[in-house]
Amino acid sequence: MAIQLSRRDLAGYLAPVTALMAFALVVPLAFTFWRSLGDTVPSLDAYVGLFKSRLFNQSALTTLEIALSSTIFSIALAYPIALHLSRLSEKWRPIFMIFVLLPFWTSILVKSYAFIVVLGDAGIVNHAFMALGLPKVPMMFNRIGVLVGMSSFQIPFVVFPLLANLLAQDANLRRTAAVMGASDLRIFWQITFPLSLPGLLAGAIMCFVMAMGSFVTPALLGGRKDMMVANLIDFYTREALDWASASAIAVILFAVSALLLWLVGRVRRESALM
Amino acid sequence: MKDRSFSRGWIVVGLATLMYLYLLFPSFIIVPISFGNRVELAFPPQHYSLDLYRDYFNSADWLTVTGRSALYAALAASLAMLVGLPAGYALTRTTFPGKRLLVMLLLSPMMVPVVVISLGLYLYYLKLSLTGTVIGIVLAHAMYVTPFIILTISAGVENIDERLEKVAVIMGASQWRVFWQVVLPQLGPSIVSAGLFAFLMSFDEVVIAWFITGPSTMTLPVKMYSSIKWEVSPVLAAVATILTFVSIFMCLATYWLKRGGSRRAAARAAADAARKPLVDEAALVQAR
Repeated sequence: MAIQLSRRDLAGYLAPVTALMAFALVVPLAFTFWRSLGDTVPSLDAYVGLFKSRLFNQSALTTLEIALSSTIFSIALAYPIALHLSRLSEKWRPIFMIFVLLPFWTSILVKSYAFIVVLGDAGIVNHAFMALGLPKVPMMFNRIGVLVGMSSFQIPFVVFPLLANLLAQDANLRRTAAVMGASDLRIFWQITFPLSLPGLLAGAIMCFVMAMGSFVTPALLGGRKDMMVANLIDFYTREALDWASASAIAVILFAVSALLLWLVGRVRRESALM
Repeated sequence: MKDRSFSRGWIVVGLATLMYLYLLFPSFIIVPISFGNRVELAFPPQHYSLDLYRDYFNSADWLTVTGRSALYAALAASLAMLVGLPAGYALTRTTFPGKRLLVMLLLSPMMVPVVVISLGLYLYYLKLSLTGTVIGIVLAHAMYVTPFIILTISAGVENIDERLEKVAVIMGASQWRVFWQVVLPQLGPSIVSAGLFAFLMSFDEVVIAWFITGPSTMTLPVKMYSSIKWEVSPVLAAVATILTFVSIFMCLATYWLKRGGSRRAAARAAADAARKPLVDEAALVQAR
């Protein structure tokens, strides 16, 4: 049974936060949408212009490529962490959790800076390569740099839903399989992994959505060819001063993200029914 | 019981260790580098010195933006707490038509791509002449961190005993009094961790600030962003190290707060188990 608040009390609790959201989120988003339709007479010119523009098509394609590859990369790196955390005892899990939470709470600028120093042409990794007589590998200001930077930001976001899923799995299933003589590898591939798919999918979509909107990493670690749509929005806003096009890109990015997040909601609901 | 099903756990442990190192190395590599010299960033540094820290603390520019960021973050976190705390409580304890929709709205700053929010704020603030103002950035950051406050507070409210609030209501306390005298005192750890989260999120936020701050309101992350983009100045290593320690402090603080919270929850569960046969408050409430 829930506590019942009177309508007036409830308004007192919720009105201020709603007002803040309306002012700083809803109105600006609506305004962006309005702006994307042009200045005076509503038209779809900005959208038509974008779909004809090589710059936009190129960066949309780059965005999808980077988002997809960094998501796959992050999942592959996050899975062992989640699996390890899920097998720890209640006492040790929060301690190892710190290793995932620390990167989560580290400023993306700090990480980007560290990657530039470490992986740059004069960085320690390339120094080591040269000391071993290997050729220099350019790892910064190109696709590799973006992938490394993005994954270190995204991994925690895959670990959390995946860990929740792994912890919710019935350990008896694994024990039974083990008693019946299944090997560890078979238990993993036939029980743990299939059962973890809803959590993995939810984490992957979240990860993909975040990657699509990323701004700092491609700007600092990517090359000129790695301009993503978020950077294009910045370009149209500051340099081209073409606010209709900037707004139209933002509307498209918003719509695609919303659609994908709606899918996550469906995945979550279905997995709750299982 | 030991989980036998992964006796070959060393594969998992080995892989996981590599991944932990991958996640942690940027944070830790920056620390020794920051004690190097001004001329060349190297790991390990040839000579250890405090030059970069001296540069940082002698630079009026860096100190000003740091102080400014801290001030904005404190204001934004306070405002977000002021509106988010009552909301987190009311949303956890009550049901009403349209609640799902409202929750979706209140949590949406976490979902909408930040760059979309930033552009919207920029265009809207241009119209209101709020670009480059303190009030503009504080309102924007308060909006941005509110969802995290609501989620943290809501988790805290779920952990406290609802029956105490019901008893207080039965005893004739008004809703506000219940909130102030029964709920708030029990939410201490959640409020502290939510406040710290909110502060750090605003303090570290780049994209919104990049779009809507001007020369006189430029924040630390914006200065770092332009500095990394255009010059990669060595003093950044010192700044990054200081920020890394702030993050480490945050993690430890939340860990301790959470541990305290789960201990209290366990103690209460034990007390509940011992008490249940004697009095059933839920039945009492229903009887009323």
